[in-house]
Amino acid sequence: MIKHIMLAAIVIVIAIFSVIQIVSEKVPFLSAGTAYAQDEWKKEFDALCSETQDAMLMSHEKLHDLVARCDALKPRIESLDESQRKVMLKRLKMCKDFYVYVLQSKESK
Amino acid sequence: MGIPARLVIISSFFLLYSTAAIGRDKPVPEEYGRVIINNFSSRAGLAPVRFNHWLHRAIFTCRLCHVDIGFAMQANETKIKADTIVKGFYCGACHNGARIYSGRKIFAACSTKTVKPEERKRCDRCHSVGKNLEKKIDYTSFTAQLPKQKYWNLVDWEEAEADWLIRPIDFLEGVSVQRPALNAQKDFSITSKSTWMPDIIFSHKKHNEWNGCEVCHPEIFPSVKKDAVKYSMLEISGGQYCGVCHGRVAFPLDECERCHSKPVAR
Repeated sequence: MIKHIMLAAIVIVIAIFSVIQIVSEKVPFLSAGTAYAQDEWKKEFDALCSETQDAMLMSHEKLHDLVARCDALKPRIESLDESQRKVMLKRLKMCKDFYVYVLQSKESK
Repeated sequence: MGIPARLVIISSFFLLYSTAAIGRDKPVPEEYGRVIINNFSSRAGLAPVRFNHWLHRAIFTCRLCHVDIGFAMQANETKIKADTIVKGFYCGACHNGARIYSGRKIFAACSTKTVKPEERKRCDRCHSVGKNLEKKIDYTSFTAQLPKQKYWNLVDWEEAEADWLIRPIDFLEGVSVQRPALNAQKDFSITSKSTWMPDIIFSHKKHNEWNGCEVCHPEIFPSVKKDAVKYSMLEISGGQYCGVCHGRVAFPLDECERCHSKPVAR
């Protein structure tokens, strides 16, 4: 009898966790994990795009690294909702294109 | 080249230029920089949006809107939708009914719900093309104390800022990227294509402060090598290169000496 109750309890707990998991994927603000992930991409975006005005003073390596990081961030932004995706992709493109421009400009000298 | 020949060339240029100027509409100060936005408005049963650059540029830098908020540099290219604004993007970055400027809440733009008749006035503040509405902020009184340019009585925004009459905001909490202090590139000269025309002194500092780097490069100026591309006045007056802003929003092309400012030394 106790075994059956324990088994039922485990099944219920698993079911509850599964429901929470599914809902939290659909509704991001319910999930601390998702919210943290959102912070992560935004932090990376801010870090990348806060350096454009110093780009002319950067080394080739640093510029290559920034371009690579922009490319790595793009898929993360592509997974956002339509409005956020449209705005942030455009902003990311502006940063990346500028770093590429500076790289080419330095290489042409 | 002899002096008479130079005189003939200069006279011909001014004759041609003034003929072209006559053919062109004289800019009306209030309408200078105006953008009519109509990607979706008419289809949604609304009047197109009348966007006045003069009001917004007095308050914000170009960079804030065209980099941090992400508005395209060409009219109607951003394709702004109401639901995007309601989510806090584009116009909704400020026009959200919560952000405060000069002690007043900035009115909320757009709605994805059916708007009640009494709320229609709020829609009309932007969707105003073809409507004769009372203006909340009048151009004449707004710009009365601001210095004017040599031609067309347009506001001289550069002088207005130098005189501390405007202080364009360059950072929007929750939207802008925190940037370190600006390391401006030096001003440089661009050789004029004509021997009788002074060379251009390009102020990197001024353009950096208002625009940031990524507004101009590489979208407007893609060339990576100095002097590799020769920009013609024909292209510029057609809206390319400097003409993306100058002649549309920034000071018009008639003020030759503001760019062609290096004394002729040839």
